[in-house]
Amino acid sequence: MNAPLALLLLRGTLAANGLRLALTLASIALGVALAGAVHTVHTSALAEIDRAAHALAGKADVEIRGPRSGFDDALFARIASRPEVLAASPVVEIEAALANGADRLRILGIDALRAVRLQPAFVVDAAKTGAGSVERLFDERAIWLSPAAAATLKAREGDALTLLSGSEARALRVAGILAGMQAGGELGVMDIAAAQSLFARVGSISRIDLRLRPGVDLARFRADIAGLLPPGVVASAAASLSGRAAAISRAYRVNLDALALVALATGAFLVFSTLALQAARRRQEFALLRALGVTRRGLALILTLEGALIGAVGAAIGTALGLYASRFLLERVGGDLGAGFFSAARSAFTPDVAALAFIAALGIGMSIAGALWVARAVGRIEVAEALRDRAVDLPRASATGGKLAVLLVAAGIPLLFLEPIAGLALGGYGAIGAWLAASVLCVGPLCRALLARAAPPDAPIASLALAQVRHLPGHLAASVAGIVVSASLCVSMAIMVHSFRVSLEEWLTGVVGADLYVQSPSTSSAFSAEDLRSLAALPEVASIEALRFDRLVLDADGPPVTLIARPINARILDGFQAQPRGLPPPGPDIPVWISEAARDLHRWKAGDRIRLPIAGRETPVVVAGVVRDYARTWGAVLMPAERYRALTGDTGANDLAVHLARGVDAKAGEAAIHRALPRARGLAFEDAAELRRRSLAIFDRSFAVTYALEAVAALAWSRRREFGVLRFLGLTRGDVLRLLALEGAASGALGAALGLVSGIAISLVLVHVVNRQSFHWSLEVHWPFSTLIALMVSVIALCAIGARVSAAFAVRKEAVLAVKDDA
Amino acid sequence: MLEVRRLGKTFGPGNALFEAVDLDVARGEWVAIVGESGSGKSTLLNIVAGLDQPDRGEVRLDGKPLDFGDDDALALWRRRHVGFVFQSFHLLAYLSVRENVALPLALIGIHGSEREQRAQDALQAVGLGSLGARRPGSLSGGEMQRAAIARALVHAPRLVLADEPTGNLDESNAGAVLACLRDAVKRAGAAALMVTHSRLAAAASDRVMRLAGGRLFPEPR
Repeated sequence: MNAPLALLLLRGTLAANGLRLALTLASIALGVALAGAVHTVHTSALAEIDRAAHALAGKADVEIRGPRSGFDDALFARIASRPEVLAASPVVEIEAALANGADRLRILGIDALRAVRLQPAFVVDAAKTGAGSVERLFDERAIWLSPAAAATLKAREGDALTLLSGSEARALRVAGILAGMQAGGELGVMDIAAAQSLFARVGSISRIDLRLRPGVDLARFRADIAGLLPPGVVASAAASLSGRAAAISRAYRVNLDALALVALATGAFLVFSTLALQAARRRQEFALLRALGVTRRGLALILTLEGALIGAVGAAIGTALGLYASRFLLERVGGDLGAGFFSAARSAFTPDVAALAFIAALGIGMSIAGALWVARAVGRIEVAEALRDRAVDLPRASATGGKLAVLLVAAGIPLLFLEPIAGLALGGYGAIGAWLAASVLCVGPLCRALLARAAPPDAPIASLALAQVRHLPGHLAASVAGIVVSASLCVSMAIMVHSFRVSLEEWLTGVVGADLYVQSPSTSSAFSAEDLRSLAALPEVASIEALRFDRLVLDADGPPVTLIARPINARILDGFQAQPRGLPPPGPDIPVWISEAARDLHRWKAGDRIRLPIAGRETPVVVAGVVRDYARTWGAVLMPAERYRALTGDTGANDLAVHLARGVDAKAGEAAIHRALPRARGLAFEDAAELRRRSLAIFDRSFAVTYALEAVAALAWSRRREFGVLRFLGLTRGDVLRLLALEGAASGALGAALGLVSGIAISLVLVHVVNRQSFHWSLEVHWPFSTLIALMVSVIALCAIGARVSAAFAVRKEAVLAVKDDA
Repeated sequence: MLEVRRLGKTFGPGNALFEAVDLDVARGEWVAIVGESGSGKSTLLNIVAGLDQPDRGEVRLDGKPLDFGDDDALALWRRRHVGFVFQSFHLLAYLSVRENVALPLALIGIHGSEREQRAQDALQAVGLGSLGARRPGSLSGGEMQRAAIARALVHAPRLVLADEPTGNLDESNAGAVLACLRDAVKRAGAAALMVTHSRLAAAASDRVMRLAGGRLFPEPR
């Protein structure tokens, strides 16, 4: 095989049905686009976070950070005075609500004279900072905005800016725009003492940024100061936020990447089935080439080049589409595609060229792999027989296909029990891949077995349809295999998503037991004890459950754990589906309930005695049980509110769960609360927790449709000569169309049935292994019967309709021409 | 040039298609093999072409035996030394007539203007010099078979194998094609072996052999 000859023969691909080729290219392009877009969006978001983290860190080497509620600012002096420290800067971080109550602004309270040495961008006119400008820097009503914040708030120097502290409004003045904080995201900077006073954080700081003297070893320094740090306060490398964001969101990102790659694999499978069905049509051509002296390897090369060409063109189109789509998604949906892992800050478009090239290469590689598989079958063509045109079916699949399918099914089983690797459910993915491959491999033997047993129906057209399909088992297998793959994926996703939704709804029904939920305007503000007493006294209110949140830092590198202090009783525990059920007997130990994620990530279990850093002290607690928590993937701990208050003296609440008096509706309750707290602003009211949904259905359906149409269209085209013969025998055009529709429906039914079985198996892996290991959520399997029935009916109907439509094109020409069609 | 010695082929136990077939075809000689349907004529042709394996015996071309165990070697051998003429013509619809004729040249690595010229010369020799740019689908049956003959001989093979070359042609076209084939074979000096049902085709050959009862006999004219 030489290059000019190969290029000459590649025309055979282009001479094939243009619509089929276009659909094949589109499927590869769609798969590459999806994978590329998802990856680019996430990469851009993480790059933005990394830029912001480094911008905020400035010249700092180390950051010391603690819980969201902060830690004693007396620590600053002890750290800053150490000989290893060249410069130190204390920071208070507050998420404040704006006057409208809906928007938030991240505020950093800094000591400007110290911060200017580490993060000069925090201080406007840093070069001129000195005695003359001190008064302005320490103005307690002054706030400086980053360019992004100024743009979002449409604020300029001198404008007024009203923030909510607790639920009270505080008027500030925009003192300037920090031109050097372009990459810092949306934030405001003010004097630390002003921030502490304004937001009730006196005596508390959130972070200490340090720059070490040259030659000081970072790891050694961290070890040396470990004893100085109170529980829940850790030292880590500066800009560690980006690493933590990546870690927290990794399972989500990997799962979306896997889903997108599945789309790519499905598109690649379409390439395989297109080439396989084309191989049937070009069977005599391939036999001729073998007779003229083309070797098996040469023939394989031609097919491989075809696959590579389709893959390359599809990948190029897909990459361009993916880049466009990712820009669109970044602007409209955000860097986490709506999952809530990253802030709503806009992410700059930052494509990862290497990853995109890899995805494109993957698309091309999958196409080539499909082509090679077809080449193996083409190599088995009986040349002499094919030249005689005695057999128009695809070459019979290798006899080992069925055995390989069984082996793959068996091989998938131990993979289900593999522990997650680097937090990823690789064993589960492997099992899914093995079982999907097995379902494809067993299509051929199953088709043959079913066809051998099917009794011929009485109706002549139906009988002819069955006979035709029996005559071409290879065609049937190639068509059905494609339907099986897409149907499997559709079914498995439908079951998994439905199971998740029903499990979530049941969980929400249990945990969302109150009539009305009230949220304070920001995480840094709270309802005071007086607020709570006022509300509890309302005649419209039967009872109030106050919830207090904090974020506990257990180690420098891992994600934080959310502490939820709230009333806990048997009803609440039932709602959270706690195991074991019920309250422990009263005793001196502080009981806590951990989420499944906390159990998996920290290897805690019921009965364990653990220590949690609460209010700066290592607090011994006992794990009383494990609860379900679908709201957080990084772990949560529930503690009885009264025990929390006793430990910390903190009587505030972030959220309230309000049980209204009989006959009082949510609107009346809301109005009563507003009257009770007249100065409160920015309170958020809602009567149900928010559900998060993924939109997979459109993606699944369009692939199934594409595949079904393509497979049946190919089947119809390669049989054009038989149509002509049938017309000569006296079948009307309508009879031929009904024949094809029946064959299409039969293919669709077979593919749908096999896909259903395969899809159910894969769904169980998704629910019990992938979901569990990725997000640490347990789900019950719920069967979306109506969706599955609709899916099966849709596949069958689309196959039948597609066959009829494509047959209408095929039989449009006179029968004479069809028979004369020799090549 | 072509020597077939004690060739045997069976299909299933006790079901011999033919046994101990001997045949010699000299350079420039055209031998026709006739016989009843199912006698094994095409199978014999396929074995000589290296497209099927005998159960016993050997095939030699210019003294060199075919290695039936090496599929790639057989393909390369066919590429250089064999030309085919099929009953169904087997021209590729997506190539022009000239490109179809040039295909064997491309296979042996001849490209560019030499390939174009030799293909055109081959077409000219069969009377299709002006039809090179057209697609096979626009040609008549006779014209397609003549194009196939041109393809079979363009690369100067030593052996030409024809399987029912007039099977799809009417009598008038068959006569013209046979004359064309004879002329081309003689000009090329190739050994030609043809399988046919047609008396007309058999009569056009130099020698007729009949395959019957598993053996090959000279057929009296």
